[in-house]
Amino acid sequence: MQFRIVKKAEIGKKKRALIFLGSIFAALFVSGLFLAFLKLNPFQVYIAMLQGSLGSAYRIEQTIIYAIPLLITSLGVAIAFKMKFWNIGAEGQILMGAFLASYFALNYSHLPRPLLLLIMFLAGFVGGALWGIIPALFKTKWGTNETIITLMMNYVALKWVVYLQYGPWKDPNASGFPRIANFAESAVLPELMGVHVGWIIAVLLTILVYFFLNKSKKGFEIAVLGESVNTARYAGVNIFSTVVLAMVLSGGICGIVGFIEASAVEQTLTKDITGGVGFTAIITAWLGALKPQWIVLASTLFAILIQGSSYIQSAFGVSTYSAQLLEAIVLFFVLGSDFFTRYKLIIDCPILSRIKESGK
Amino acid sequence: MADRSVHVAMKNITKTFGSVIATDHMNLEVEKGEIHALLGENGAGKSTLMNMLSGIYIPDSGQIFIDGRETRVTSPRDALKAGVGMIHQHFKLVEVLTSLENILLGYKTGLFVKKKDQKVKLQRLMERFQLDVDLDRYVYDMSVGEKQTLEILKTLYRGARILILDEPTAVLTPQETLKLFKIMRRMKEQDCSVIFISHKMNEVMEIADRITVLRKGQTIATLKKESTNPQELTELMVGRPVDLSIKRVPRVSDKVVFQVKHLTAENEEKVEVLKDISFNMVQGEILGVAGIAGSGQKELCEALAGLYPIKKGEILFKGEDLAGKSPKEFITRGISMSFIPEDRLGMGLVANMDMVDNILLKQYHHSKGIGVKRKPAAAKAREIIKKLEIHTPGIREPIKNLSGGNIQKVLLGRELDSHPELLITAYPVRGLDINTCLKIYDILNEEKKKGVAILYIAEDLDSLLGLCDRIMVISNGEITGIVDARQATKEQLGLMMLGNKEVDHAV
Amino acid sequence: MKRVLTILLSITLVLALAVGCSQAPDQGQDQQEKMKIGFVYIGSATDAGYTYAHDQGRLMLEQELGDRVETVIKENVPETQECEKVMTDMIDQGCKVIFANSFGFQEYVKRVAEANPEIIFLHCSGSIQGPNYSNYFGSIEEARYLSGIVAGMKTQTNKIGYVAAYNIPEVIRGINAFTLGVRSVNPEAVVKVMWTNTWFDPAKEKDAAVALLDQGVDIIAQHQDTTGPQVAAEERGCWSIGYNADMSNAAPKAYMTAPLWNWGAYYVEAVKSIMDGTWTNEPYWGTMKDGLIDLAPLTEVAPEGAQEAVTKIQDQMKAGSFDVFAGPLKDQSGQVVVPEGSTVSLEDQLAMKWFVEGVEGKID
Repeated sequence: MQFRIVKKAEIGKKKRALIFLGSIFAALFVSGLFLAFLKLNPFQVYIAMLQGSLGSAYRIEQTIIYAIPLLITSLGVAIAFKMKFWNIGAEGQILMGAFLASYFALNYSHLPRPLLLLIMFLAGFVGGALWGIIPALFKTKWGTNETIITLMMNYVALKWVVYLQYGPWKDPNASGFPRIANFAESAVLPELMGVHVGWIIAVLLTILVYFFLNKSKKGFEIAVLGESVNTARYAGVNIFSTVVLAMVLSGGICGIVGFIEASAVEQTLTKDITGGVGFTAIITAWLGALKPQWIVLASTLFAILIQGSSYIQSAFGVSTYSAQLLEAIVLFFVLGSDFFTRYKLIIDCPILSRIKESGK
Repeated sequence: MADRSVHVAMKNITKTFGSVIATDHMNLEVEKGEIHALLGENGAGKSTLMNMLSGIYIPDSGQIFIDGRETRVTSPRDALKAGVGMIHQHFKLVEVLTSLENILLGYKTGLFVKKKDQKVKLQRLMERFQLDVDLDRYVYDMSVGEKQTLEILKTLYRGARILILDEPTAVLTPQETLKLFKIMRRMKEQDCSVIFISHKMNEVMEIADRITVLRKGQTIATLKKESTNPQELTELMVGRPVDLSIKRVPRVSDKVVFQVKHLTAENEEKVEVLKDISFNMVQGEILGVAGIAGSGQKELCEALAGLYPIKKGEILFKGEDLAGKSPKEFITRGISMSFIPEDRLGMGLVANMDMVDNILLKQYHHSKGIGVKRKPAAAKAREIIKKLEIHTPGIREPIKNLSGGNIQKVLLGRELDSHPELLITAYPVRGLDINTCLKIYDILNEEKKKGVAILYIAEDLDSLLGLCDRIMVISNGEITGIVDARQATKEQLGLMMLGNKEVDHAV
Repeated sequence: MKRVLTILLSITLVLALAVGCSQAPDQGQDQQEKMKIGFVYIGSATDAGYTYAHDQGRLMLEQELGDRVETVIKENVPETQECEKVMTDMIDQGCKVIFANSFGFQEYVKRVAEANPEIIFLHCSGSIQGPNYSNYFGSIEEARYLSGIVAGMKTQTNKIGYVAAYNIPEVIRGINAFTLGVRSVNPEAVVKVMWTNTWFDPAKEKDAAVALLDQGVDIIAQHQDTTGPQVAAEERGCWSIGYNADMSNAAPKAYMTAPLWNWGAYYVEAVKSIMDGTWTNEPYWGTMKDGLIDLAPLTEVAPEGAQEAVTKIQDQMKAGSFDVFAGPLKDQSGQVVVPEGSTVSLEDQLAMKWFVEGVEGKID
């Protein structure tokens, strides 16, 4: 008996959906075993996860609050990924966006709220965009590997914010504790229907990115460039300006996340402002097949998973690590299912195939 | 000859991919010590059938017998164990290793390999089959022909006695082809069997003992070479009577529209890849370009189309110097020149996009505003489908799912749609079956009649001699001569391709 | 887009059904009598250190009050807005009292408390106070002083290392008390301070201890939540003073003793007072006398005579007659800051931003 892995021909959408659903069930089954091992009733836990994330208005709000940065960041990285520019620097772009927005929040709090928020929004975009342009320039000018550069720039941005938090921007009123002062009311995004208005920004950006990628010339050029650099050159696409523009948008949109999180959620700048969303967004962007309409779905489901597993930690006394393991199992299966949409496992077993043939 | 035993027999082989039946109860018998040609159009099932013999695919049903014993082949390793080896069109060699290392790579298990012992064994094998491979040479230093010989040696060394060659001559010069044929004959003498996949009629007639014709997933007939002829084979292959001759349309004008003067270009390593290229083209002329693969054809086309940096020289099109202009300028300034690149899916088209977006590729620069307009492109797509008889499930189907011939038609259709006065085509019929080739020749002749100057780069000397008015031969980035296609011979072209400058320029 | 919408809708529907058809395991009506109490932890309950000590207190609370309380915990909560969310989640799940055990939670506790006036919030180690929220802490410096005596008697190089988290008054106070303890028995000894800027990072804390050991210290003390510094001392064959819990498992050959918290003493008292309505927002400040503070039993590694020296002072502390910060106290430059006969008031202790003589290190 032999096992082999063979590449599959393209499969239909229906089959892809079936494989996806199958992977979810497999994930639920395996995590169910794990929960049973912890002497918990898996069904109760799953239901509690849903209740914890969707069971009341408050919980839905919390889920949405988690989904907002995830969705916007996913949109940002999707633009770069569409161009096959592996921007894994969303973390850094969020931090730089948050940094620049915070600069205005801390120093210009006397400005009227709408004006200050607008300035902060733009500053967030610019901060992220600047952090996105650098790897784009390096790549187009010297052919550097963007994966490594964007990854390393995350740490530069992180250390910069840490420096500010522990050094020049440390709040003198925090009795030595390294934190930056809270924003004034004028620098905090207002709420609408129970959730800060970041959700409106997220909805608008989803629509904008959808139209940009599908209906605009530049979006078309980005897609062509992502498929083949040679074709792009052949079709008269200006490679340099397209790469730079895509990274300005990709980084800029991530920078907006920094602004939203600093202004509405944290109401100050901290080194932990990203909450790791810059990396999680890579997963959701892929799960959403780099299409804004699907990214909304992927981000929402992911937020439900996170919020649900956070809920069961306190509801069932499940430890943080066990809850994270549940999240990991689900991710493992969902991402792993992608493998089975592209490859299939063949089991060569002489007896089996003989039985099959005689059956015909 | 009468006591020849059956070396390979494939019986009732069926294989389906999704809803497509690739091979439908196919049968094939190859005798020991024969060269057996598999002839068929693209999509006839040649490669699928051979991929099943060499273990890449597993048949849905049917049996394979090797040396009279039923054999289950489920992987290339199994196939080699049974003595079947396949040489693919794309060589599976590691460029930065030597021949010897490539041969031993992944074959011998165990921690240490006694290179010396293996070398002696290989020398013996090379003598037996009269193969000429320098075992210590690096693959990146080798010509295509040498790489192919190395692949053959590698396969033989690993125990193959039945050799499958998948369109082996497509990448070779005429001289290299002759050398390959010599090797094939030698293998036959050594009681090995060779299965030769091709759609070049003249080669099949030259080398094969027997020929099996496939069509649309079915075995049509197996014929002895002596008892058939190209016309019959073609008709069996296509399924209807065909006129095989390539027509040459007379030239209509003498007006020079295109002049290239002292064109020189360097690659990234500062090596000159185009050396002082100068030629003229007149209205309604097909100028062929012949040369060994990698002699500068690609660079020439791309330099003319604004895709390759030019060191010096002029490119005059209707009096305007195009040197140094970008493709975008070509499109936006309405320079009526089109380029059909060699790499259809890697440069001319986007494989994962549909026909509409691929047509949009050349249109969107013209539309106003920041948005793209897909409606006119869709209309154009339908028009091209109708005009060039393109078979596709629809204008929204990704291009990569189309057959090679239809992909080429999409590319041609899009480029001709801009009504160019100069058309640069690089290997427009490569990999296409006879029917589609003839269709493409027809299209080019139509354009020629309209007065379009066509630069036609090809590797098949027959088509060059049949279609073109003049043939320009390049070798190592240099023009070795421009000859009149009506008077040139293959031998003459072959010598020029190897760098011999032709004395009597017949321009 | 239409397809996406359909899928979204159907998923929502299925989820809504699932939620609607099920009964929450934690929202039964019959549990009205139970008071639900949330604990927000900076570290892990198994960290064998600070959070472990708090969790022991929680378990004691459960044991003491049995059926009358139900506790929920959330571990590894960062000192960011995440902690605000955790507390709000706990309220959503029915918690009436919330304990938050880290200084950095302060801002968020205040914010959530002001938004939820019906819930009582108790924040550890800070200084906030409002109608429904207050803080609790204690004079751990008493135990630190005692552990300083042990270290001062043990050191051979007369250099003692102190791995410290943040330069906030709480930590500075502890370093000063420890140093005073050291120098009460060994006036030659100095205490070298290394900041880590984290409460909970085993690797970083260990690295800091290694750096101190490289500077020639032979004892490591710590104001950190993990056993990282203990392990470093053990590996170098040196000695150590733990914190929060008996850390002899992590460093059997190095560990001598540790200042301990007995949070259970406070938690039981606080919850009881809330239950019978006698709770006030007066900050809680526990001492060794109250049983909140203790010193772990000395191990065999501790120097000879240390037990006697410690017991002598500890007895005075338990009687309430020993003041760690009684003058005269000199600062690092040798200037007398607290003259003989006076002391540092609790208010000044809570804002302490200077080191006593004998500390080598900077507050910046």
